[in-house]
Amino acid sequence: MKKSHQKTQKSREKRSVFSPVFVSGIMAVIIFLSLSSFLASDNEQPATDTIEPEMAEVEVDTLPLMEEEPSEEDAVVETPAENDFVRGEYTQQQIRRGERLFNGLAPFQSGMHDCASCHYTSAQQEINWNPAAWELAVVWEQDPDYSIMDIMNNPVSMRLMEDHAGMTITAEEQHLLEAYYTKLSEEGPARLQAYPVRSAIFWGMGFLMLLAVVDLIFTRKIPFKAVHFVILFVGIAVHGQFAMAEAQNLGRTQNYAPDQPIKFSHLIHAGENEIDCQYCHFTANYSLSANIPSNNVCMNCHNVVRSGTLSGAFEINKIHKAAETGQPIEWIRVHKLPDHSFFSHAQHVNAGKQDCANCHGQVETMHIIKQVEDLSMGWCLTCHRESNVDFLDNPYFEIYERLHDKIRNGEIDGVTAAELGGEDCMSCHY
Amino acid sequence: MEKKYWQSIEETQAHFKPQAEEKEASMIEILANEANEKAASRRDFLKWCGISFFSATVISACENPVKKAIPYLHQPETITPGKASWYASSFVDGNRFCSVLVKNRDGRPIKIEGNDLCNFTGGGTNAITQASVLSLYDDGARYKYPTKDGEKISWEKADKAILKALKEAADKGKKCYLLTPTLMSRSTTTIIESLKTRYPALEFVSWDAVGYYAIREAHLHTFQTAAIPDYRFDKADLIVSFSADFLATWLAPVSFAHRYATTRRLSEEKKTMSRHIHFEASMSVTGSNADERIPVKPSAELEIIMELYNEMAALTGNPVFSSPATHYDTKALAQEILDSKAKALIVCGHDNLKAQILINAINHMAESYGNTLDNRKTLNMGHGNKEAMEQMIEAMENGNAELVMFYKSNPLYNHPEAAKIKAAMANVPVTVSFATAKDETAKACTYILPDNHYLESWGEVMPVWGTHALMQPVMQPIFNTRQFQSSLLAWMEEDTDYHKHIMNYSERVLFPRQNQFPDFQQFWMHTLQAGILENDEVLSFNANLQSGVTSDAIAQLKAQTAQASQLQFSVMEDVKAADGSYANNPWLQELPDPITKISWDNFAAISPRFAEENNLKDGDRITINGLEVPMIIQPGQAYESISLALGYGREHAGKSADKVGVNAFALLNTNPFPWNVESWEKNGSGYEFARSQTHHSMEGRHIVRESNLDKYKENPKAGNEIRDYHLKHMVTLYPEQKFEGHHWVLMVDLNACNGCSTCVIACQAENNTPVVGKQEVKNRRIMHWMRIDRYYTGEAENPGVVFQPLMCQHCDNAPCENVCPVAATNHSHEGINQMAYNRCVGTKYCINNCPYKVRRFNWFRYAMNDKFDFNMNSELGRMVLNPDVTVRERGVVEKCSFCIQRIQDGKLKAKNERRKLKDGDITPACAGACPSQALVFGDLNDPDSRVAQLIKDPRNYHLLEELHTLPTVGYMTKIRNRKG
Repeated sequence: MKKSHQKTQKSREKRSVFSPVFVSGIMAVIIFLSLSSFLASDNEQPATDTIEPEMAEVEVDTLPLMEEEPSEEDAVVETPAENDFVRGEYTQQQIRRGERLFNGLAPFQSGMHDCASCHYTSAQQEINWNPAAWELAVVWEQDPDYSIMDIMNNPVSMRLMEDHAGMTITAEEQHLLEAYYTKLSEEGPARLQAYPVRSAIFWGMGFLMLLAVVDLIFTRKIPFKAVHFVILFVGIAVHGQFAMAEAQNLGRTQNYAPDQPIKFSHLIHAGENEIDCQYCHFTANYSLSANIPSNNVCMNCHNVVRSGTLSGAFEINKIHKAAETGQPIEWIRVHKLPDHSFFSHAQHVNAGKQDCANCHGQVETMHIIKQVEDLSMGWCLTCHRESNVDFLDNPYFEIYERLHDKIRNGEIDGVTAAELGGEDCMSCHY
Repeated sequence: MEKKYWQSIEETQAHFKPQAEEKEASMIEILANEANEKAASRRDFLKWCGISFFSATVISACENPVKKAIPYLHQPETITPGKASWYASSFVDGNRFCSVLVKNRDGRPIKIEGNDLCNFTGGGTNAITQASVLSLYDDGARYKYPTKDGEKISWEKADKAILKALKEAADKGKKCYLLTPTLMSRSTTTIIESLKTRYPALEFVSWDAVGYYAIREAHLHTFQTAAIPDYRFDKADLIVSFSADFLATWLAPVSFAHRYATTRRLSEEKKTMSRHIHFEASMSVTGSNADERIPVKPSAELEIIMELYNEMAALTGNPVFSSPATHYDTKALAQEILDSKAKALIVCGHDNLKAQILINAINHMAESYGNTLDNRKTLNMGHGNKEAMEQMIEAMENGNAELVMFYKSNPLYNHPEAAKIKAAMANVPVTVSFATAKDETAKACTYILPDNHYLESWGEVMPVWGTHALMQPVMQPIFNTRQFQSSLLAWMEEDTDYHKHIMNYSERVLFPRQNQFPDFQQFWMHTLQAGILENDEVLSFNANLQSGVTSDAIAQLKAQTAQASQLQFSVMEDVKAADGSYANNPWLQELPDPITKISWDNFAAISPRFAEENNLKDGDRITINGLEVPMIIQPGQAYESISLALGYGREHAGKSADKVGVNAFALLNTNPFPWNVESWEKNGSGYEFARSQTHHSMEGRHIVRESNLDKYKENPKAGNEIRDYHLKHMVTLYPEQKFEGHHWVLMVDLNACNGCSTCVIACQAENNTPVVGKQEVKNRRIMHWMRIDRYYTGEAENPGVVFQPLMCQHCDNAPCENVCPVAATNHSHEGINQMAYNRCVGTKYCINNCPYKVRRFNWFRYAMNDKFDFNMNSELGRMVLNPDVTVRERGVVEKCSFCIQRIQDGKLKAKNERRKLKDGDITPACAGACPSQALVFGDLNDPDSRVAQLIKDPRNYHLLEELHTLPTVGYMTKIRNRKG
């Protein structure tokens, strides 16, 4: 149901167009593509995504920076008795105070450093194995017996003992942190914001071109007309390049590497532990889909492996929790072909003997899985034209007698997929 | 009646040009009208284009939506994402049976195929079976939870109320009734029997809206055993049918079509075929396939049966009785039957006891029993008993019924006395319906305890003695429904698991009768996997004719026909709606009737002569016995007869069925002769039918080539002589195309094809073809990828009929390919004319240049569009879509792809198994569904394949081959077996 829904949505991209409209349409596309190149560079990826490293930078903390001293309200608040801190009752002021505490803008009584330096409140490029602030908040919110004080003051696991060594908090501080947690869990995962390099170039060039045109026609301040034309020429070229690049990348998600609900590292599983791809993605050999492993596959190992060296138990607990609650993990899909192309893993992995890395890159080096190739039709076809099929060893291909003769005569040394119909439209589109 | 026999098609054109001239709006007019209806100008159009471009660009450039990939928590062993699993099951509904395989993809059933392991059905299906998967997802009509007076209640409360009624009925001295259609399931009848023992007030009534009880009863009279023999059309050399539409609707059409086709298929080795003589009033699918078709009105038909009996009796030295004289040469027919020496088979479709007794006697004299009529492994069908039904109605009227339960019965729609029953229901304190989906009876019931769809159910049936079929659920029930049998078990206050009950039954009854498996679990798993089990169980009878029964039968039948009026009507089931149960299936509603090519309607058919005499024309509204119905002139309709299809005119069945056509069951009430037209008048005209074929002549071209058996025996090229001429003139400057690897070919045997249209539905189910609705069919925008063209030849009063399945011909020199400006359609390495939807810009040049008119244009967006409120417009209805085929968007052209997804799948399987592709590995939906195996698909480059053999057959020809399009679809000439 969902599949068909997507399918109709996708194929809607292709419309029948009458020729005059087509021309005007093309013009509209060009104009708006250049416009969109700006938009795209800001909002290219959705909420839970990260963005290409070179064009992104972490947003500066949005907190109102705490000035010199605590404000007056803070001063007048008296330290209440311990049993006054009832879970679930927080004031706006407490939320703000908790936020400062968490971010190190107000000191802890024990003198420990802030929480945010390990439990990030903002999204990061690099993987941070510690749970993010919002994740802590969600865990706290879902478990009524969860106590920050217990975790900090009497840690049970080795990992927590090491990481939180010497850090204690008071009941009041716990209450303030809890207050802040309510805000964090409401906000959800932090969002990356891009530093608009490409937008700056786009608008900068546009501004320069505008100046050049204005000066050329009205103000005439610059005596050398060559300057105007060079600016216009370069500007149009830059804008054209942007439009081209963005148009080509429409619907493509090369380098897409979203944060996943579990900090699952292919580097650790496929790289360090050398687990075979098809241990988890076990249907790749005989099905269209390579299969996102179901929870019980994870549990095969994590029934025993309850804690990771990098992430501790926090991430692995999510698997156990899924098993307990019956709510499967909602992974973010990274590699996605349009619905009008029918790709079969079995065809490529089993019959075609392609290595997984040919399409998915060196996943064993990735903490966060990333789409390495652009998965465009041109990219597919290049491979179909270049890679040889398992021609001599697979009896299926015996029907191609002429090609077998050619190989026997030494005219060719292999047969590519394209020679066997790998370029036919209906190889993939039906 | 004198029949005009013709040699070639041209000959007939001079005589017969039926309603080709009817006024039809041209495409330009339609477009112009549509343009006028809207106030939008060209400027608006451009504006909207600009806006849509703008928004599409901005939206697609801004953000790619986050797609989630949610795995199973515990992946079931039997489900592999992206890979189909298959389950053997059975389609069972009253007398209808088909052993099927259900394709299940990602946990949802999406396609039905025939089960090759079933010898009874021969691996075929019919249109209703193919379409049954869609009814599963009919969320508009299906009942979703138990109700009382329309209010949702719990199963426990409902059970309590019904138990109370069951228990109290005996105290009150009242009866409880359970009404079912024919139940072929012995495990169900045992439950009912024990329920009857527990609650003595319970009566079990079996009643079929379209029944065969007369056959069963006739055998009781003639052979002292209430049974229906199995009809072995495959063993018959001469088939004489009186209104029995056995290829499409009568009794077990899937099996009969399969058996019939085996006698009709011709090859170099087998140059004999059966001869089929058919008497009927309306033009039926079976009649249109007959070698000799005699259009007669019902009373005349019965008279012919009487006369035939007498002639046979005279020839075999049996007593002869007086009977009315007929115009038909029954003597010659009797002689022919006797000449065929125990290889004749006479069948009668009338549910008339006297006629069936005579048919039994005729078959007895023809020595059919034990030969063409299997009196050992008899059919377990036709248990519906009209008299028991009458008694039940009487008890309801008298207030003697405490509880009435309706299972798969809808008498408020399809009983002739529906109004009476409705009134009587008011006297019954508790009424219960087990309806799966909306129906008229359920609406009037106090309790609705919805039954599972058959794809959600367990089941066991025995359609014919010695053949046991299992039904297994292929998905969890979608709604809060409970299987009928489980309800009965609940009232037995027993374990409600019907699955266990069937297993117990199998262990008790089926397991001891086999010696293949020593262990029951093994036996059970194997049987469940096969879906079918054959053993030696029989219900046989001795074919010793009782004396005296025939004389009474003739006397009574004579008295009956004497009361016949001049003008008579006949009603019959059609291949789509049957008794009305399938009316809410949009696939079936849109399926063009095999003969008239009308969809979304039923109609009164009258003969051309009668129309001329009474100045009637297509689309006139006539009133017959008070029922107003639009009419058409049907070539081949018996003079002075009016025919109507049953199953239409539903009142409360769902959006696709309601108010479509008229309810012909209402007519069945006329006495004393059941088919008398007591009054009729014309009261209007101008009704427009949605007709997918309005031109019925081949215009002198050799589209369907046919010949007669005697000529074929002399020269196997008979009828196909013109092919040599075309081949001689086929010269080209271009080098001949060579296809390395595979070269896919589809061969269509016109002799085996009976026009039943199963393939059309199979194609629609496989390829996500949208339903477009009545108006769009009228606008010539039906989307079916394959159609069955029907042509008439000969005289209008009794024409020859030919069917031709027509799909994309996959021309190797395709005219569509070289006119496409964007190369969206081109030729593959394997000879397939491929269509890339995403490249198509919708110029429709290809459609214009296709000489076969097999390309379809998506004029609208048919999915998720309220204007096309069929299955693709509901979340649940879209579950039936095949995920391996794109749902096409507005503005693109589509057409038959030879089921490329299946070709790709078959090739991949062979590659992965490291073996050569075998013939038969790949079967397109149409070929797989065909009960007659008229379509054969394969690789021409494989010299041992069936198609490589068939294409060399002298009967093979290609459609419009004079155009040098080099189609890869081949047709085999139609050979008839006519005398003289």
